[in-house]
Amino acid sequence: MSLLLQIVVNGILLGGLYALMALGLALVWGVLNIVNLAHGAFIMLGAYTSYYFFTLLHVDPFAALPLCMLTVFAFGFVLQRYVLNLIVRAPMFNTLLITFGVDVVLTYLAQIVFSADFRVVNPSYAGANFTLLGATIPLVRALAFAMAVALTLTVWLILGHTRLGRAVRACAQNLVAARLYGVEPRTVYALTFGMGAALAGAAGGLYGVVSQINPYIGDPLTAKSFAISIIGGLENPLGVVVGGLFLGILESLTSLYIGSTYTDVASFGVLVLVLITRPRGLLGKTT
Amino acid sequence: MMRPIGSIAFVAMLLALVFVPWLAPPALIQFGTTTLLLATLAQSWNIIGGYAGYASFGNSVFYGIGGYGTAIAMVQFGQPFGVGILVGAVLGVIFALLLGLPVLRLRGHYFAIATLALAEAMTGVVSNLDIAGRNIGLVLPLRKGDAFFYELSLGLLALATLTVFWISRSRFGFGLIAIREDEDAAGVMGVNTTLYKALAFLLAGFFSALAGGIHAYWITFIDPVSAFDITLNVMMIIMAIFGGAGTIFGPLVGAILLASISELLATEITGMASLFFGLVIVVAVVFMPRGLTDLTRRFPGLGWRYFRENLRLHRL
Repeated sequence: MSLLLQIVVNGILLGGLYALMALGLALVWGVLNIVNLAHGAFIMLGAYTSYYFFTLLHVDPFAALPLCMLTVFAFGFVLQRYVLNLIVRAPMFNTLLITFGVDVVLTYLAQIVFSADFRVVNPSYAGANFTLLGATIPLVRALAFAMAVALTLTVWLILGHTRLGRAVRACAQNLVAARLYGVEPRTVYALTFGMGAALAGAAGGLYGVVSQINPYIGDPLTAKSFAISIIGGLENPLGVVVGGLFLGILESLTSLYIGSTYTDVASFGVLVLVLITRPRGLLGKTT
Repeated sequence: MMRPIGSIAFVAMLLALVFVPWLAPPALIQFGTTTLLLATLAQSWNIIGGYAGYASFGNSVFYGIGGYGTAIAMVQFGQPFGVGILVGAVLGVIFALLLGLPVLRLRGHYFAIATLALAEAMTGVVSNLDIAGRNIGLVLPLRKGDAFFYELSLGLLALATLTVFWISRSRFGFGLIAIREDEDAAGVMGVNTTLYKALAFLLAGFFSALAGGIHAYWITFIDPVSAFDITLNVMMIIMAIFGGAGTIFGPLVGAILLASISELLATEITGMASLFFGLVIVVAVVFMPRGLTDLTRRFPGLGWRYFRENLRLHRL
């Protein structure tokens, strides 16, 4: 029983981070209709930003999160404003391909600049943990989980209750009407993509604390973010949280009861099932 | 629609390519085999992605299954290569049917992601199968002589291209194009969309599986990670689109050009080859989103305005 509890707790902690990873992808997908295959590469950039702030300037990784977000935001903003805006109305293949191209470029630049070595962000409290209701909880994972939940809620609030959020949602619903009402889509698109990138940056900063980083971590994380966005649905940021937690717990349970080599089979199998039975996500409307 | 000049050029090129193994150095034959297999994959993707408009990220599943079918028949059951590749092709077709029926109900991004997920799941399943050598893989018997594999790949590519040629002028092909342009309208006009999509997926699976079988026997080794590699799937899409998806020769031209560029770069500036490849993709998507075929057709008339019009059409 306590083993099961521990596994579920691990899954929840992992799932919070997954949700944050997927949120940026789901936001860009839902609003801009671009499936950003470079999303994982953005996460990788965030992780390296955190790593270099920590090793060179001794900035605490959690304090460096805003810096990670800002760095990757700037990159995402410029990319959307000056490159992706040029093809945003092209067929779906083309947007997929161009983000794949960006992913390749970023991965190999990272390999040249950062080298292919494994890196770890290792603050002094990395080994600390505490016990809650019989389950052992590593401190950094709990902190990462809390930050992930806080950021997800912030995005939900921004989308629902600010002028920018309304402009973003207007663009997602009807671009022509939004333009007529004075929304400047070029900037809104760039800001939305930048926000998605910033979320990836934050996820990367947290990923660096709980796991090892190298230039190739991006692609599997993109695939996971996809799966979570689909399982949760694109319409509601809270759906992504449900999707993330679901996948985190599913992976933990699979590796305990079936075997760790089956985690991908389980998560992608569930993804296909969800796509076929509830194509609008677990929380989406059933029609 | 293959014009007479096109068919003459195709036959001439085919004949020229047949004689390459007698004249070229071994390295070029090996590069040629790889390129021909990639072109076959791009052409098979063209059937489902270019004509039917379904962005399949799961063609590498069939490639892997074809390779594994061949490997298992040859290694575990001691069959000759001919039987092995047949087993691989049959398995590829069966999987295309089994996976296609549920997955082809999805559209757009959802189809793309579902097929991507299938490829990921297959890696996991195969690396847990004893008969497939788990995650270590299988070692196939060695057959000397690159020329054999070169001619085999060339034959397969010719077969795939002829099939696409037939598709492009058959009732079936027009049905696929109708599905690509507007699936609901195609259904209303009496196109059996489910059957047509399943057939297109099946054909794509058949050719990809054969290519996988040839490749596995050629390099005499197969393992789950390389057999179901997503990058390979992205490569075939890029090659097809770079050349021109939904055309007969576009995927061939795209595959040969891009493979040559990356091969040249790999020998000149080793580490930068992939970087340059990524940049080529970005620039090509921005300036010639409908591929080289469209560029060669409309650039002479429009000149530099061609690029401006592409930009105007797709930018925000």
